[in-house]
Amino acid sequence: MDTRACLAVACLLACNVDARAGDAAAGGKVFATECAECHSVREGKDKKGPSLYGVVNAKAAQRAGFAYSDALRASGLAWTPENLATYLADPRKLVPGGKMKYDGLPDAGRRDDLIAYLQAVAKP
Amino acid sequence: MFLDRFRRQARTLLALSAAFAGLAAAPAHAVPSYARQTGMECSGCHVGAFGPQLTPAGIRFKLGGYTDSDGKDGKIPLSGMLLADFSHTRQAQDPPPDGLEANDNTSFDQASLFIAGRASDHVGGFMQLTYDGVARNFGLDNTDLRAATTTSLGGQDLLLGLSLNNNPTVQDPFNTLSAWGYPYVGPAAGFGTGDAASLINGGLGGIVVGLSGYAVWNRDWYAELGSYRSMTPTLQSRLGLGRDDRKLEGNAYWRLAWMHDAKSSAAHLGLFGWSARLAPDRTVPGPVDGYRDIGIDGSYQFLGTREHVWSVFGSLTGELQHTGADGTRHRLIEQRLNASYHYRQTWGASGGFFATRGSDPAAATRGLVLQADWTPWGKEEAEPPAGWQWLNLKFGAQYWHYGTFAGTHSGAADHDTFSVFAWSAF
Repeated sequence: MDTRACLAVACLLACNVDARAGDAAAGGKVFATECAECHSVREGKDKKGPSLYGVVNAKAAQRAGFAYSDALRASGLAWTPENLATYLADPRKLVPGGKMKYDGLPDAGRRDDLIAYLQAVAKP
Repeated sequence: MFLDRFRRQARTLLALSAAFAGLAAAPAHAVPSYARQTGMECSGCHVGAFGPQLTPAGIRFKLGGYTDSDGKDGKIPLSGMLLADFSHTRQAQDPPPDGLEANDNTSFDQASLFIAGRASDHVGGFMQLTYDGVARNFGLDNTDLRAATTTSLGGQDLLLGLSLNNNPTVQDPFNTLSAWGYPYVGPAAGFGTGDAASLINGGLGGIVVGLSGYAVWNRDWYAELGSYRSMTPTLQSRLGLGRDDRKLEGNAYWRLAWMHDAKSSAAHLGLFGWSARLAPDRTVPGPVDGYRDIGIDGSYQFLGTREHVWSVFGSLTGELQHTGADGTRHRLIEQRLNASYHYRQTWGASGGFFATRGSDPAAATRGLVLQADWTPWGKEEAEPPAGWQWLNLKFGAQYWHYGTFAGTHSGAADHDTFSVFAWSAF
């Protein structure tokens, strides 16, 4: 693939949410394995980590009553699918000084499945 | 006289409790069960949604000094535990065990109060005060107070910690050593794994105080080094521990382990040891005995999506004893191999093989212990009814079979014991 094709794919991934659509059912299993000890998808239920209900496309560090790290508060991030994918790959790289004790999910497909699941559980 | 002694014990225990509770209450997070502190369900840290078998998250919480929280204030650092059982032994015991009938005992085994929680981002722990319903006494039980912090070494995370505790192996993060080893409960009228046991296998538990320093590098490598001192007879008495005149002299407790958390599975492989010089009677000056305990242990857990969780774990401990009075030497070898399976963190089946043998033929005991249990709550998808959110329960049945007991095969199975138990934490 030449450089222009790479740029085109990168642009597509950056601009088109559907291009990273994952399998929500598979994402539920990823959530159970990787996240559920510290996070809930139940609205308002915080654990060591905040509730992830409605997290996709929400502003970071906005849940009232949860003690986020200063680093995440100052990040100005919004949890777009792209930002979530980047964060989940290596949380401490995107938010240095953040307090989530998680090494990251290296498999891009599993990240997309997880994001699809987080989107799906918040739909009415 | 009894009342005076009780008052002295109560004063000492209350003073200790108040000191720790005061620390733990300072930033207003500290919890009865750590579940309330972290907002996590019991299943987050415990296999089968009930202690003490730890998941990798539970191991991290313990090594981190019991300090993680959900960031919310107003938690009370108190918790309780009740345990009762009914047991039937194949042959009635003659004479009956102290405080029990010869057979078919229904007993209220223990009630414990835990002062457990975090004192700050770097300090936490627990102190267990237990009423023994069979011996009918009240005293200090397992205690583990910690300080921990993180830094980096070679570009990787380095966790450094201290544990002040009263029972060698209570600070251990794995379920392969004595303090938190399988089975986690047993019938009050049962025979356990026999009378012969190594020093590191509970030989001085509760009547010593020790300080360990530990480090976890790159989340995978664990090292610990510590030492213990005997409590004075006066302190033992004040803490409701009776009186034991043995006195520890120079000793070193150590632990090395590789551990790995792959999220859907976890494993560890370790070495451990305790070398100690022990005066058999502090009231009589004389030669001391020497103990050199060393062992290897390991575990594997399959966690998956937590619907099916199974594990295998075991240890092999060797002890060399040197009796100072007559210069004789003795060997003791202890083997443990256990496995467990839990479905939906609710239904559990476990089994374990245990064997002890040594240069003294009478030390030999070997057998199996099987357990089936049900834990209805303790996970997000199955919480207690409204108004009972503070309660977790485990009901189980256990069967102990002995192939050899105290060196003899003949009649060993007469010690076989069946029990059912109810265990609650709140």
